[in-house]
Amino acid sequence: MLTDSKSRKPHKKGLTPTQRRNRLWGLALISPWLIGMLGFKLAPVVATLILSFTNYPLLDPVGTEFIGLTNFINVFTDPKAWNAFFQTISLALIIIPVQITGSILFATILSHKGLKMKNTLRSLFFLPSIIPSVAAMFMFQGFLDPDIGWLDRLFLGPIGLGGLIDIYSADGVRTMFIVTSLWSIGPGFLIMMSALQSIPDEIHEAAQLDGANVLQHFFGITIPIISPAIFFSLVLNLTVVFGGAALYNPGDVLSTAASSLDGYLHYAIFDLQKLGYASSVSWTFFMFVMVIVLTLFGTAKYWVYFPDAERQL
Amino acid sequence: MKKTLARKTPKFWGAPSFNVFVWLLLAVYLLPVAFMIVTAFMSTEQLEDERNTPLYPAKVVHFLYKGQDLKVYNVPTTNGVKQWALISPQIKPRDPGLMPAAENPPPDIKTGQFVDPQHPEAGVIAWRGDWNLLTASYEFSLAWDNFTVHAKALPIPRLFGNTLFMVIVTEIGVLLSSIVVAYGFARFPLPGGNLLFYILIATILIPEKITFLPTYFFYVAVPHWAGTMYPLIVPYFFGNAVYIFLLRQNFKGLPFDLEEAAMIDGAGPLRRLYSVVLPQSWAVIITVSILHFFYIWNETRQASIYLSTAKDLMPISFGMQLYQSLHPIQNVIEAFTILALAVPLILLFLSQRFFLQGILITGTENK
Repeated sequence: MLTDSKSRKPHKKGLTPTQRRNRLWGLALISPWLIGMLGFKLAPVVATLILSFTNYPLLDPVGTEFIGLTNFINVFTDPKAWNAFFQTISLALIIIPVQITGSILFATILSHKGLKMKNTLRSLFFLPSIIPSVAAMFMFQGFLDPDIGWLDRLFLGPIGLGGLIDIYSADGVRTMFIVTSLWSIGPGFLIMMSALQSIPDEIHEAAQLDGANVLQHFFGITIPIISPAIFFSLVLNLTVVFGGAALYNPGDVLSTAASSLDGYLHYAIFDLQKLGYASSVSWTFFMFVMVIVLTLFGTAKYWVYFPDAERQL
Repeated sequence: MKKTLARKTPKFWGAPSFNVFVWLLLAVYLLPVAFMIVTAFMSTEQLEDERNTPLYPAKVVHFLYKGQDLKVYNVPTTNGVKQWALISPQIKPRDPGLMPAAENPPPDIKTGQFVDPQHPEAGVIAWRGDWNLLTASYEFSLAWDNFTVHAKALPIPRLFGNTLFMVIVTEIGVLLSSIVVAYGFARFPLPGGNLLFYILIATILIPEKITFLPTYFFYVAVPHWAGTMYPLIVPYFFGNAVYIFLLRQNFKGLPFDLEEAAMIDGAGPLRRLYSVVLPQSWAVIITVSILHFFYIWNETRQASIYLSTAKDLMPISFGMQLYQSLHPIQNVIEAFTILALAVPLILLFLSQRFFLQGILITGTENK
């Protein structure tokens, strides 16, 4: 850090003028984000919390009154809400490992030393990820359709398994989301690939000299070194699955059939017209997400490799 | 260095067979995309025909016979399957006087009159059999209508213009703010130590569901932003947590010596950022701007919330999604997807040199 070069360990309050100036500069530089965070994130989160203690009806805001914890008690006794949480989280628990494993595998394969035309191949592997998710959903619906889709006509039909997959059933839709999540791993794939390339060649050579086999090499050296990238990828994937927006646009794909939570919120807002209740549903879910996130961050030091002493992220 | 490693590559993953394997894997991976492209050129008639149509884009063969436009079918005869044009299908009802009480009456007798397009001079051929079960005869044909006719129903240039405007404005806003903020996080001491940085990571994880309601009511009630582009543009001027994180990681990895030298020469923080840090960070900046481009280009969520009533301001992604939902036929949907993808696709291949090496996240942070 800048201050360290000027003077080591000052007294608690006794900042040197340089330190004070640097601190102010730091604050000034991050101020756009700070203001945005307060205005676009913190304020709405708090507002939703306040809303969740009221019975705010969509069409008649005048009749709003504070009803204490009633909404939250209702959420906890509402089997539909629990089902929505369960469906969303269970889907995430499958999709996230699938996506991360997929991106590590693809990145490993495409970083192989003997591979020709690497840039073209990588762009082509990245290509499906730039298809908007709604369009990708239509694409897979067509591809898997028993009448016009290629899966049945080219592969399953000839071996007598035609019509086996009913993509229009609830299970079919969920399966489709899990399998097709492999086609949107682009950013994660990029992150893993950069991480793989950052491993110094000497480390690989040392491992080979020591006689490590391919699996030992992969799990003993590659995975630990790229663990910060895996961790960040995990954060991004969590965000996308839980309905945030980062790096790629989730569109409406996770809205109805697959993400029961969005569907249920939509139902609470527009059909029941209970905004207060919808707010407490989303806040309860938010607390779930935060528990998962804090667990991840809390355990990060045991499984994410941080070589420098600062231990940032 | 590279040569010694290539030599040590395990033999069973030898280079030629491995290259073939990767291309095969790619072929399987891109199969749905190939399906999308092929389907985009199919006619609706072909898609709705359930009987064994070709996998490639094709249309039913027609034959003009004595001023009549006839469809050609694959007709099984004793001399093999013939491609004949159907002149008139006929149903000869079974004799009503015969076995009136039978539970399973014999089916109606169907006959058809055909003509052989190869030898029309041979005249009408009578064929007995169920012409309902015949499959139509197809020939290769690209249905450009999917691109032209339907595209004309939408103000494509205006939609593209709107998206382009949004991309340019938010790109400027998000890059300027994120770079400055990332520099602050990478090189300056902040009150509270790392706490603010942890908050930055935490904001990435706040689900949109929880901020959506108040944000919407605020935009609509206070600045009256419903039906304007502001809700889709203004927030980007306050930086994006993911981009800030990526940029910060990169800035932290840069050697500090040059900045120190600039500082001794009296360069202020912004000057150091501009003349020392930025020239070393083009790869990550290009990566971030391209990821942002893809994001905005495909954005439909915010647009559907704030612009569904403002037809003139719709971005291409949302305009096409609306049209697709009104015309849910595979070929139209796929054709539109391809139209909308053209620009990002070109960008992806033009930028692959920078783009594919721009995101570096390691634990190693040079100081």
